[in-house]
Amino acid sequence: MKRAHRTAHLALWLILTPVIFLILIFAVLNQPEAPDNETLPAVLIEDSS
Amino acid sequence: MSHDYKAVQWTPFKKRFDLWLLAGIALYLTVFITIGGLAQPPGESIHPVQAIIRATGTLAFLLLTFVLCIGPLARLSHRFKPFLYNRRHIGVITFLIALVHSGLVIMWYHGFSDLNPLVSIFVSNPRYDSLSGFPFEVLGFVALLIMFLMAATSHDFWNANLGPGVWKTLHMGVYVAYTALVSHVALGAIQFNKSPVYVGLLAASAVTVAGLHLLTGIASRRTGGAANADGWLEVAPVSTMVDSRAKIVRPLKGEAIAVFRDGQQISAVSNVCRHQGGPLGEGKIVDGCITCPWHGFQYRMEDGQSPAPYTEKIATYATRIVDGVVFVNAEPNPPGTPQRPSQIGVDA
Repeated sequence: MKRAHRTAHLALWLILTPVIFLILIFAVLNQPEAPDNETLPAVLIEDSS
Repeated sequence: MSHDYKAVQWTPFKKRFDLWLLAGIALYLTVFITIGGLAQPPGESIHPVQAIIRATGTLAFLLLTFVLCIGPLARLSHRFKPFLYNRRHIGVITFLIALVHSGLVIMWYHGFSDLNPLVSIFVSNPRYDSLSGFPFEVLGFVALLIMFLMAATSHDFWNANLGPGVWKTLHMGVYVAYTALVSHVALGAIQFNKSPVYVGLLAASAVTVAGLHLLTGIASRRTGGAANADGWLEVAPVSTMVDSRAKIVRPLKGEAIAVFRDGQQISAVSNVCRHQGGPLGEGKIVDGCITCPWHGFQYRMEDGQSPAPYTEKIATYATRIVDGVVFVNAEPNPPGTPQRPSQIGVDA
């Protein structure tokens, strides 16, 4: 690979790696306790309870 | 090799590779769907469409992980070179599997909406201001769009028309697609399925892909030091140079140099292939020609020119052997310039 391409490749991974791991850590720490029913209409949630 | 935009040739090896790949894909889908059905808790069942959605989704993610590991692995070991030759085929098949996954998701989860299903993906979950509730399907759509661009421009026609530099830059978009895909799985499947298997697979994929790319990226930036006053760079002792293979030298300025040994001869050429910038020094000499490990482009050792009828030319470099140590002159000759090889045992 050309020197410029190798530099761009490494720079891209130096940016993407922390982004990937921050999202992963956030996703694992924020796993919901129970299925999220917020998108269901309120009437359905009341009926089910 | 290229000639008038001729594509990389379909060889018997490539055909056999594709057949094995398709057989592996069929086996994975069958096993995943069968085990997924059997593993359901008593009284619960999974619809076949949902099973296929999960099977194709996991398969596309695993294949993309593998595709992204091929490049760095091939730099670390020659054993992975056969996968390098077939990487584009695996990439296009990965896109097609992801397309099946997306198509089924749109039909199954958005097909009954009053809205256009494609619009529904973007508006059915409006929580764009929340990371935990983010509409993860949009991230999958972004990844699919980038993979489509990669697959659509994977043919050598586009490489020849756009030029290797633009083509390579465009195809680095696959790293952004991978990041979007990891986010798609992390904010989607991981939130609904708390199985440690999914979390473990996702983390293993991210560590492997990012780790390999950073490792090889940092290693490839190591230079061979400054040339001496006459412009000569030390390569290696002759005794350590393997026949038909090369040592790569990286000057402080300019492109890397591939120094090959062919029997008793030592020659040096630019390390950058004219086709897609592949690392020639990681290839080997086949039929007397330096052969690129990526797609088999060939160059003669003595003048850096592709054998007829091909017309590609790369820079050559002067070499010399002093006290059993190979040196290369850091100043390149114009592409295609004949350069006498150094003779082991004669020039030393």
